[in-house]
Amino acid sequence: MNQATAVKSTLPDSLSLVALTVAGLLCLPLVYVAYMALTADAALWSRLWTTRIPELLFNTTALALGVAAGTLLLGVSLAWLVSRREFPGRCIWEWALVLPLAIPTYVLAYIYSHLLGTGGPVESAWQMLAGPDNRLPSPHSYAGVTLVMTLDTFPFVYLLARAAFLNLNVSYEEVARACGASRAGTLFRITLPLMRPAIVAGLSLVVLYVVSDFGAVSLLRYQTLTYAVYQQITGRYDPTAASILSLLLVAIALIFLVAERWFRQRSRFFQTTGRYRTPARRQCGPLGATLASLYTISVFAASFGMPAYMLATWSVSAISSGAVDARFFGFVWNSAFLSGLAATCAVLIGLPLAYLASRRPSRVNLLCLQAAYAGYVLPGPVGALALLVIFSHLAPFWYGTAAVLVIAYVVHFLPAGLQSMEPALQQVTPNLEEASRSLGFGTTATLRRVTLPLVRSGFIAAWVLMFLQSMKELPATLLLRPVGFDTLAVRVWLEASEEYYQLAAPSALLIVLMTIPAILLLLSKDWRAA
Amino acid sequence: MTALPVPPAQAEPDRLVVYSGRAERLIKPLLDSFQAKTGIQVDLLSSGTTEVVNRLQAEGSRTPADLLITNDAGSLERARELSLLRPLTAPDIAAAIPAQFRAADNSWIGLSGRFWVVVYNTTLVKPADLRSLLDLAEPRWKDRVAIPNAGSEYLQAGISVIKTVYGNNRTKQFLEGLKANAGTQVYGKSSQIVEAVAKGQVALGVVNHYYVYRHLATQPGAPIAVLMPDQHEGGMGAIINVAGIGIITHTKHAESANRLVDYLVSEEGQKLFADLNKEYPLHPRVTADPALPPYTTTRVAPVPLTQLGKLREPAMALIEQAGLR
Amino acid sequence: MFQSESIPSHEPTQRSTDPSHGQHRPTVLELHNVSCVYGGDRPAITDMSFAAQEGEIVCLLGPSGCGKTTTLRAIAGFEPVTAGKIRLEGRLVSAPGHLVPTERRRIGMVFQEYALFPHLRVQDNVAFGLQHLSAGERATQVRVMLEMVGLTDLAARYPHELSGGQQQRVALARALVQKPAVLLLDEPFSNLDPDMAGRMREDLHDLLRRTKTTAVLVTHDHDEAFAMADRIAVLNNGKLEQLDTPEAVYHTPSTPFVADFVGQADFIPGTIEQDKVVTEIGEFPNQPGYSGGDNVVVMIRPDDVHIAPLAQSTTHILTRQFHGSENVYTIGLPSGRVVHSSEPSTSVYPVGTPVELQVNATHTVLFDRDLHQ
Repeated sequence: MNQATAVKSTLPDSLSLVALTVAGLLCLPLVYVAYMALTADAALWSRLWTTRIPELLFNTTALALGVAAGTLLLGVSLAWLVSRREFPGRCIWEWALVLPLAIPTYVLAYIYSHLLGTGGPVESAWQMLAGPDNRLPSPHSYAGVTLVMTLDTFPFVYLLARAAFLNLNVSYEEVARACGASRAGTLFRITLPLMRPAIVAGLSLVVLYVVSDFGAVSLLRYQTLTYAVYQQITGRYDPTAASILSLLLVAIALIFLVAERWFRQRSRFFQTTGRYRTPARRQCGPLGATLASLYTISVFAASFGMPAYMLATWSVSAISSGAVDARFFGFVWNSAFLSGLAATCAVLIGLPLAYLASRRPSRVNLLCLQAAYAGYVLPGPVGALALLVIFSHLAPFWYGTAAVLVIAYVVHFLPAGLQSMEPALQQVTPNLEEASRSLGFGTTATLRRVTLPLVRSGFIAAWVLMFLQSMKELPATLLLRPVGFDTLAVRVWLEASEEYYQLAAPSALLIVLMTIPAILLLLSKDWRAA
Repeated sequence: MTALPVPPAQAEPDRLVVYSGRAERLIKPLLDSFQAKTGIQVDLLSSGTTEVVNRLQAEGSRTPADLLITNDAGSLERARELSLLRPLTAPDIAAAIPAQFRAADNSWIGLSGRFWVVVYNTTLVKPADLRSLLDLAEPRWKDRVAIPNAGSEYLQAGISVIKTVYGNNRTKQFLEGLKANAGTQVYGKSSQIVEAVAKGQVALGVVNHYYVYRHLATQPGAPIAVLMPDQHEGGMGAIINVAGIGIITHTKHAESANRLVDYLVSEEGQKLFADLNKEYPLHPRVTADPALPPYTTTRVAPVPLTQLGKLREPAMALIEQAGLR
Repeated sequence: MFQSESIPSHEPTQRSTDPSHGQHRPTVLELHNVSCVYGGDRPAITDMSFAAQEGEIVCLLGPSGCGKTTTLRAIAGFEPVTAGKIRLEGRLVSAPGHLVPTERRRIGMVFQEYALFPHLRVQDNVAFGLQHLSAGERATQVRVMLEMVGLTDLAARYPHELSGGQQQRVALARALVQKPAVLLLDEPFSNLDPDMAGRMREDLHDLLRRTKTTAVLVTHDHDEAFAMADRIAVLNNGKLEQLDTPEAVYHTPSTPFVADFVGQADFIPGTIEQDKVVTEIGEFPNQPGYSGGDNVVVMIRPDDVHIAPLAQSTTHILTRQFHGSENVYTIGLPSGRVVHSSEPSTSVYPVGTPVELQVNATHTVLFDRDLHQ
């Protein structure tokens, strides 16, 4: 065996070891929660099962279904409008309708709890029309939470549906019309069914988001499983009840993911084949154009325009009354430091996993990669709970330090980062590396001159994505932050819970402003190519 | 007791670390004033009470904390049970703080008292409408009551007392009725309860008394008032609790920590501490804020504060069984 | 492959009295001076006119970009026309500013990539356009159609489980089951390998004849056009160059482009003297329209040129290409020009053999020399 192959066979082995260790550690929180829950007292299980769990399950399911229905309606209808019709301003709205993703759910929730709450502007306006005794339904209700979460998450469905509409081979629709189907008939019998995989993918994103959301449900006081887990952690000394609820939550998320994957497998033949032509947009008549514009404007206003405006005006008055002081910048630094550290660690941790899975896709390596995705099913409070317990039992030295929080971020957001890193690595085919080696460059030089430049943009995208997710993160931060170490997200939540709307605005506005570039970054294919 | 030795002027002044479950702004002025007097710097870390106690437990002997302040005797008792606190030895303490407000071995002492009262909207309710806390569970108050959520230490302490006086079954009934009457009006913060009552969203709420007076201090015209429940013949008496302090077992600055405790039980410290939050000072010679009604005539429930620690878990179990959020 | 069943044809709506055809079949499709543009202003087809009669198969033949697909899509109603008229069964369906939607024209369409609905089974694909029928009637028609195309066993399969040829038959069945007035096919065989394509062509031809379906077929392959069409419309750059039977297009092309496109052609310059065309390979009868002194080129097909070895000849074989059924020789003339000769596969002559040429052309095809240049 010559030098080159000797190097080749030893390097990956140590890499495999690293990957295995990392994967194991990433799975640890999930395993620990499961362990705690399954070894809990049966009496506790039965007590929870008969008292809180039915209500929590019902609430969580009802919310998920309600939001799924809402986002389906909004997302698909807007995607259709924007990809099949031409009306004034269509170009602008097509991109603007993605912006609601920049607003974290807790920010939108706090804005709406003011807008629709007692004494808020909407109620005052209503009372001017309907009399002072007429109360609006409170936003702290199922309807309120559903509204807020629908407005915040419909872009997931919108984006995927829009891509599906644009990528659909127009031949299908032409054939359908040649068979005598009307335009509406074609839409419902051919176009929408063929878009099912994309729609289902969007809806599953929405449902996972809703089930693991903490910010909106806590501010609007709607009891879901995730909220209950948080309350259990902060209200009790013994985390067993919390771990039981967490296990339930994780089980639901897993069932859902499996179901979605099965469905995607079944419809994997819905690909467009052969010659592809962009479907033409039809011009709207004046009535159609008016209705279309009104619809898109009102959805945009409700989900982004109005909230952004309110944040801006509140921030202005908060700043002028001195809210943006040294303390504020301290919070900014805390957020940036933690998130930057977490993103960097995550990239370094994800690298061996993704590399091995793409270069040597053995069972073990692929399993390691899958394990990294465990973070997906761990809602913030659950992951935090696991880490709290693990560290207090096994490594009390680190309990209460920023390290625990950074680890929580890594576990939670690594999946999102991997989704950018994996494709980037797959881009660099083994042929390229082999070609480089045949030209005389060793392993390190190849890595430096060939691999890294090619994967750079994907890795940068992954870093930015994880950085921004960490900046916005709320429940794990609330639970794990070192005492006194507040982030922007925590400030928004604390102040919003006390209804100090104006005080919370600068932090919220900053978060929103920082998230917008991330979204544009993810959407812009041109950036990827560079 | 001898005066504590004053450290030599050239030496580095001591630093104390206080873990507090009490809000920062209610403690900081006192600590600043202490620092001004003695030169001892105090670092304050405030968070939720449960988290602070959990943290102390996890940190064990490595903890940087020297003192623990919380708003609830039950949590102080628990800290004592976990051997996190060391008995206070200064003799001034016995004179300053009556025995019923201290741990048996003085591991912790109360600093100020609070009543768990009913706040009502004066336009919607008359004082005669309600006699006892347990009346809150009656069907006529459906959707008109605001309560704290199940994690609230005040609720847990209150239920602990009710359970001791009335037994499990009656308490469970009460909780179920309360849950039905509150509906969605379950709040994470007591200030929100008072707000809701003031706005007329609900007619009644249960809070610690000082929230009401704080609200009235900023909005004198608000239509709210305090009703002290269970004062009638045969009633259980008002539910009280204390905010208190203890010195951490593993502290490395015992002398300075004791000086801080001394300051807080001194008349000056007591007045400042209590008035900051409109609570009742425990020192017999310190008078309460004039806005507060005198408590000497108030009947108090016969449950010792030191019991609250043991009663916590069963009370939480009951709360959970009743299905409160 | 296909079963034989008789499908009653629909009632004729109009009788054509075009004397050149001598048959009185109704005209199903008419294009009068139709022009279309590519998204904007680039003309796709200009001034296109032709008609198809009931049961006729018309081929639109031409290189890519010549406008044949655009014509097909205009007939289908997917593209609007900027000038001219299109009539289907006598009804005006397309005119500037007037467009009857596709779903209201009675057309059937088969795309190059078949476009079978992936989420529907074969039987549901075929039944797609029969929603106006009762369930029983629908099932019957589907069954009959599937029997005709020989896919009864595969009725419950999904498109991704079928081979290319099977998919094409489903696409055909789907279009034909609606008894369209015109069946439009867009390069239907280009996705199949040559052998499969050949078989499919025969079967399709047979099916169309049996069902007496009028069809317009778009292709760039002249062999396909010759095999399938009753008439071929040769398109070039958006214009219709010739509309004629395959034989006429092959033997008497009306333009050099057509001549060159539909088969191998050599153009030999000549001059008209008296009533003959004099060229270096021989003399040919003159054609009307050309008079003495004109400079012309004569179109010669390889199958018109016969070679025989002749020792002293100044013309030599330059290359030989074996095409299985024939040998195609490139012959170098003394002037330097080349002609091609097609000989049976058994006639093998080595390269360099001096040969003499015998050109038999039943019909001389002449073009102006400057036209050809």
